[in-house]
Amino acid sequence: MSIARAERLPARPWAARFVKPEALTGYGLISPAVFLMLVLLAYPFVLAVSISLTDRVLGEPGKFVWLENFLKLLQDSLFRQTVWNSFVYTLSTVFLKMVLGIVLALLLNQEMPYRNLVRGALLLPWIVPTSLSVLTWLWMFDSLFSVVNYILLGLGLISKKIPWLGDPFWAMVSVVIVNTWRGLPFFAVSFLAGLMTIPRELYEAAETDGARAPRQFWHITLPLLQPVIAVVVLFSTIWTFADFQIVYILTHGGPINATQIFATMAYDVALVAGRIGEGSAISLFLFPALLVVIILLLRYLRRE
Amino acid sequence: MRKKKQGSVHTGGDRTISRRAFLGVTAGATAALSFGTFIRSGLGAAKVNVLTWSNTLRVMDDVLREQAKQYTKEKGVEVSFEFINQTDLPTKTAAAVESGAGPDIITLWSDGPHLHAKALVDVNDVTASLGKELKGWTNIGKDIAIVGKNWKAVPWGIIPIALTYREDWLKEVGYSTFPDTWDELLAASKKLKDKGHPVGFSLGRAIGDGNQFHYPLLWAFGGAEAKKDGKTVAINSPETAKAVDYRRKLYQAGETEDVFAWDDAANNRAFLAGAVSVTVNAASIYWAAKKDAPPLREVTNHSFFPKGPAGRFGYSTAISLGIFKFSKAQKEAKAFIKWLLEPKQYSAWMGIGEGMMAGLLNFYEDDPVWKKDPKLEVIRQIPKYVRMPGYPAPPSRPAAEAMIKFVIVNMFARAAKGMATAETIKVAEQELKEIYGKA
Repeated sequence: MSIARAERLPARPWAARFVKPEALTGYGLISPAVFLMLVLLAYPFVLAVSISLTDRVLGEPGKFVWLENFLKLLQDSLFRQTVWNSFVYTLSTVFLKMVLGIVLALLLNQEMPYRNLVRGALLLPWIVPTSLSVLTWLWMFDSLFSVVNYILLGLGLISKKIPWLGDPFWAMVSVVIVNTWRGLPFFAVSFLAGLMTIPRELYEAAETDGARAPRQFWHITLPLLQPVIAVVVLFSTIWTFADFQIVYILTHGGPINATQIFATMAYDVALVAGRIGEGSAISLFLFPALLVVIILLLRYLRRE
Repeated sequence: MRKKKQGSVHTGGDRTISRRAFLGVTAGATAALSFGTFIRSGLGAAKVNVLTWSNTLRVMDDVLREQAKQYTKEKGVEVSFEFINQTDLPTKTAAAVESGAGPDIITLWSDGPHLHAKALVDVNDVTASLGKELKGWTNIGKDIAIVGKNWKAVPWGIIPIALTYREDWLKEVGYSTFPDTWDELLAASKKLKDKGHPVGFSLGRAIGDGNQFHYPLLWAFGGAEAKKDGKTVAINSPETAKAVDYRRKLYQAGETEDVFAWDDAANNRAFLAGAVSVTVNAASIYWAAKKDAPPLREVTNHSFFPKGPAGRFGYSTAISLGIFKFSKAQKEAKAFIKWLLEPKQYSAWMGIGEGMMAGLLNFYEDDPVWKKDPKLEVIRQIPKYVRMPGYPAPPSRPAAEAMIKFVIVNMFARAAKGMATAETIKVAEQELKEIYGKA
């Protein structure tokens, strides 16, 4: 067969392409994905980087200024506050989501009635479009009609209404609560998937050795869950640093810039004030740092 | 290595062909289309796309839709309005300016003609003929639309911002007319708050209300963010300090503490719910009351901003219509804008808004709508007090950036929260220097 085909090949060169290297077919198959990556990810990214190195304003070409935008930002008082806010926002929400996510995953891993239904329902905050659910939160935090305050006052837990979005401290608390609420399902479900892969025998063996639940958690669950935790935390950190909707809808960065974060400031500067060079620099500011984190984390995972 | 190369050449080649084919088809189609446009415009049938905000008063948009249809029927030029959320306008405008594609006519917010001047065609002919026919343009109309020497957009209207107040509650504390000076307002608000009816002016992230209240306050005391050259930051002055001191007193004596949380809609809700006695707004509260709370409408009235040592000021959002340079239907767009601002069309639109919108041609100061309701008299006169952020300098990019960053509002907000006057002005000065330094 193969000899016969080989003999025929020179006569029909087009067939050679199909038959000869499997690699070609391989490239053919991944090319749509590569093409999409180039068009949808690489191109905008390269464009953003190149814009961030110019002093472009809307509708004007601008000139190349190297890293001037980034250096100027370092001296900008509002930007420094934005950096601080972004770190507070991201670190506190990721921490909360991680701890609560583990707790939730452990609970959902127990035997209980309607377990699948409960697990499905858990995903709701993650599925509902963020802008819609955050509008509901906006109402719940309303200065006049806040149902949260109404309940807390009614229960006698507070004596004076909490200025949720009206006070620098509480505004940050509000956006952290909403971000945690929205991101928790992703954490819980990922952890749950991780939990289900841990073999039962390990726990049985530990029990035989007399280890109680806390020790089982520290010495079996947590170490085996570690890779999942690492990946989920990494993703969430990146997403939260780039978060826009929750803050934009709830506080628009206020009051007195108390919740201004990278994305909201970049939006205001680039699209509303028209300084797209500087705006791009704001949104790319953390990119080098995040890149290092990603590389370290991925290397760690590979070693695992 | 070689294989790889071959592969990429192979696939790349394929794609190039298909892309070429695609380009060919599109180019052909575009050519055909523009040829069609050319032919049709010869017959008077080009298409004009207008991108605008969706008005809080939907009935005003309905009028525009009807008028577009009517225009098409009468003049044979197809016109279509696209209504989008006001907050999406900057993004869409930015995208159109950057990509060189989009609507023919764009609705520009207050300083828009200055910010996007380079992307807009001059419309001197349109404004000249409208001005000639309709008693000339108001000063604020000229301020927003003339950049250098040329009209970069046609002023479409202004959303007059007044103080909205409860007549009955002011009477209760002894005021038959609204306080005429800022000091009197301070005294009145203290009495009002003691009766459980505080005043409320947003110190939060209300891009409209917050700025519309605090710029006029600053100006009334003689303060300004920059000098007339539009370059020198001038916020740090004794006049500004007086305004800041005043704002702290007003908050402490007579205001609800909710103001720090207020966005642009919150004060409307608070007023309609009877939680505040005085706030800053367009006639939208008055309008909403018509539908939802007719008895409230009876006791609601409008007032000018109070007078300060330097005079009486206001800041209202003005809108104008600009034509993009990339538009293929510039001639048709100009003709449509002119038609839209002629009395027959404009009065119908402005009239149904009942004070939501005021014209920027002097002719419309005597529009029948103002006679409909005596409570609209104040609204009618608002435009003459209006200045734009950056005043006394013309609107500019730094002024726009200072506004979107809430520099002035936050200066007052920090004072209300208790920061010392000199300190909060210093923060604002620093922020302004950073912004103006970039220009």
